[in-house]
Amino acid sequence: MLRVSAIAEQAGVPTSSLCCEGFLGQAKTTSVGLGYPNLALATVPGHVDVQTSDELRTNVLGTTVEHVIRNLTGEIASVQATADPDPQDIVFEGSFEEVNRLFLENGWSDGLPIVPPTKEKIAEFLAFTDLAPDHAIGKLLPDNRMATVWNVAVNGVMAGCRPEYMPILVALVEAMADPQYGVEHSGNTPGAETLIVLNGPLIKQLGFNYEQGALRDGFQPNTSIGRFWRLYLRNVAGFLLHQNDKGTFGNTWRVVMAENEDSLARMKWPTIAADMGAADRGAPAADSAVTISRFTGGNVIVSVFGDSAEKLLPYLGNALVTHSAWEVIFTVGMATGTYRPLLVLSPLIAETIAKTMTKQDVQNWLFENARMPAHLFEKYLWGWTNLVPGKRTLNDWVRLGKIPKVFAGNDPNRLVPVVTKPEHIMIAVSGDPLRSNCYLFVHNGMLGFPTTRSVRLPKGWRMKLSEAQG
Amino acid sequence: MARRNSGDYAVVWPRSAKAVEIKPLAKRLDTIEGKTIAFLWDDLFRGDEIWPILKQELGKRFTGVSFIDHDAFGSTHGDEEHRVLGELPGKIKSMNIDAVVSGMGC
Repeated sequence: MLRVSAIAEQAGVPTSSLCCEGFLGQAKTTSVGLGYPNLALATVPGHVDVQTSDELRTNVLGTTVEHVIRNLTGEIASVQATADPDPQDIVFEGSFEEVNRLFLENGWSDGLPIVPPTKEKIAEFLAFTDLAPDHAIGKLLPDNRMATVWNVAVNGVMAGCRPEYMPILVALVEAMADPQYGVEHSGNTPGAETLIVLNGPLIKQLGFNYEQGALRDGFQPNTSIGRFWRLYLRNVAGFLLHQNDKGTFGNTWRVVMAENEDSLARMKWPTIAADMGAADRGAPAADSAVTISRFTGGNVIVSVFGDSAEKLLPYLGNALVTHSAWEVIFTVGMATGTYRPLLVLSPLIAETIAKTMTKQDVQNWLFENARMPAHLFEKYLWGWTNLVPGKRTLNDWVRLGKIPKVFAGNDPNRLVPVVTKPEHIMIAVSGDPLRSNCYLFVHNGMLGFPTTRSVRLPKGWRMKLSEAQG
Repeated sequence: MARRNSGDYAVVWPRSAKAVEIKPLAKRLDTIEGKTIAFLWDDLFRGDEIWPILKQELGKRFTGVSFIDHDAFGSTHGDEEHRVLGELPGKIKSMNIDAVVSGMGC
């Protein structure tokens, strides 16, 4: 909404942006990053989702219309830019406690103590990249600040990372800055949180946990890199609660999930990075890669039971359907074909399935069998939510040529897939190698579309790593 | 920003320069009478109910005002967003748009 207004103001016409009452604060902070801190907002009192038609009309006529007129014709106060420090200036000297208090008071920390970002510590991180400190990785909305190698190192220090994690941190920010990922949506109300999946030799070289408790904090690389992600979103992209981060509930950041590549090699199944085409981006398949994607949540699928793929898959298919709810607006509707749920199999389950099936076979099986009644699908689109307007049925979407014919039919109880292509069901292998549990993450569509970057190592990596690990 | 000389840690700022300059807003209208107002919508949060109310009320209060509905542009959120936003400056010119109402932030 505000990006529209910024473009229109740039084109020379006045604007008025309609905003529910609870979102005025977010709108004001987002406006700053767009270069127009005084974008004119017209308030819609309360929230429209729970108002009767009469209440909505009364609110619009009583408040919104006056604001629109004022916004388009009245004087808008001008705003001056505030001066920011130079990123390499020392902004404070003090004790550990004093530094931490300063960072908390300025919103630069997540509430946990940070490692003070001194120039000495930052230099240790910079030694693990061949890129210059001022190398610009990209611009990050909503604050519209520059992502640089320098501030990657600063936030890596703060998060408690080790210097040798720096190549992964740079790759992560490159992925964050990729327009395909859509970082600007990271403050939306569903409060989805990014999962970072790591593949490649760095899993073992840096000591990532990829076995029991793979999604729990407790291992320094998994935990501190997960924390780095959220600190970077805060400090550089500008996602702070009560400002640009409007997650109704939100999640704490997730630890990095490393795949069990020994298990994948035994099964001859591709990694997530390979599925995402990491090797096609100019990087050798042996390179490490990160894949980021935003998930609204997930659930464990406990005690998957059976000695064959045929016996195991129905439970996984059921989980895929029962845990996919409003997210299907990204299968059909808001951003058709962008729903990419992630099924994490424990090695025990994966290797039992792999006796007779490839990963692609599993994806095809789930596409054919994990299906939802069409009437329920349509309730998610426009019956129980107002996220996809127009009350277009699945048949309408098929007629428009937007989705495959498999969604069409006359019976409201017909079963339809929850994704538009089998390969959109992502499958990873991690967790306790000797337990029969699995996990399903449900995805947030184009608001965090899966994005992969290979990790570039600095010259002399092995020697530098050996010295760092001493 | 506070700075002391007696501490153990000399630290830097964890943020970075803004990649955007602060710009002035467009000149506001002298009147809404006779002007063309466009509505751009993200297909969310009842904009399709709010816009007709706004149109009716503005039409009552200002003579000669005309409106361009959201379907002349497409959705500003979702898979059409980049196209719709990219086309907007050209459409503002070609459709002689004087002002834009954009919704919904909810």
